[in-house]
Amino acid sequence: MKKIKWFFNIEKEEQWLNEQLQKGFRCTGISGFGIYTFDKTEKQYVMRLDYQDYLPKDKLQDYKGIYEDFGWHYIKGSWLSGIRYWQKEEGNQNEIFSDRQSKGKYYKRLMGYSFLMGMLCLALSYMIYKDLSGFYHDGLWNMEGALFWYALLFETPFVLLKLSPVMLAILFGSSFYSGYRNYSVLIEK
Amino acid sequence: MKHKLLPLSETMHYILLALREPHHGYAVMQEIEEMSNGSVILAAGTLYGAIENLNKHGWIEAVGSSGRRKIYKITTEGSAVLKLEQERLLHILSLYEGSE
Repeated sequence: MKKIKWFFNIEKEEQWLNEQLQKGFRCTGISGFGIYTFDKTEKQYVMRLDYQDYLPKDKLQDYKGIYEDFGWHYIKGSWLSGIRYWQKEEGNQNEIFSDRQSKGKYYKRLMGYSFLMGMLCLALSYMIYKDLSGFYHDGLWNMEGALFWYALLFETPFVLLKLSPVMLAILFGSSFYSGYRNYSVLIEK
Repeated sequence: MKHKLLPLSETMHYILLALREPHHGYAVMQEIEEMSNGSVILAAGTLYGAIENLNKHGWIEAVGSSGRRKIYKITTEGSAVLKLEQERLLHILSLYEGSE
């Protein structure tokens, strides 16, 4: 079974994945562009998402080695997004963090990632919008009747495309905020 | 100012104590489970992060490997940290006794 879904919040993604596993599935692959592959299974699995920046080859080996010793199976990880997907059969220990300090550090890593991506999107927006003339579609507003509506329909996707970096920046901003909220709750406890 | 890892967290404290003998990562978790009578069971990400951190500060070091697993042991600096922590905790314990 394949499912396509896009996430900008790692916790929501983890929650959604585990909802699928609860329905008697096991994740067998995740590819770019949000394509998740599941297999039917009799066993109960759990998934946990970790965030790690780029790990050089030997560090990645240490990292994977320790998780695998604990029974976790590495489904996917990419240095570009930094999200590491782990799955294991449900057992006594279903978490990847067992103390507040390490969970807090995880949220800090997430915040760093969202902040960086948000900033990149803002920089991209700036590069697009500093040339404002392309944004107003002058010709469009001089048109009348049906022609105007056709032109409006035609132009709308392009406007949305130009707006997409801003929308992405907002999404990353909200994921930064949610990381911050989780982090501060953890510290206050 | 105090070192940012001090006073030691429970996780760090147990790992340093366990690594007075050389162990690989998973064995550290098992050792700690036994030392703490089953009350401290480390998870994979916590153990990985703590080993990385202690290694970075030079309190533990890799002393060899068994297969693909690295074996770690406490360094002289790490032992000195444990000594300091022991004194701190002994002092706190003495305060408990004084109040009885």
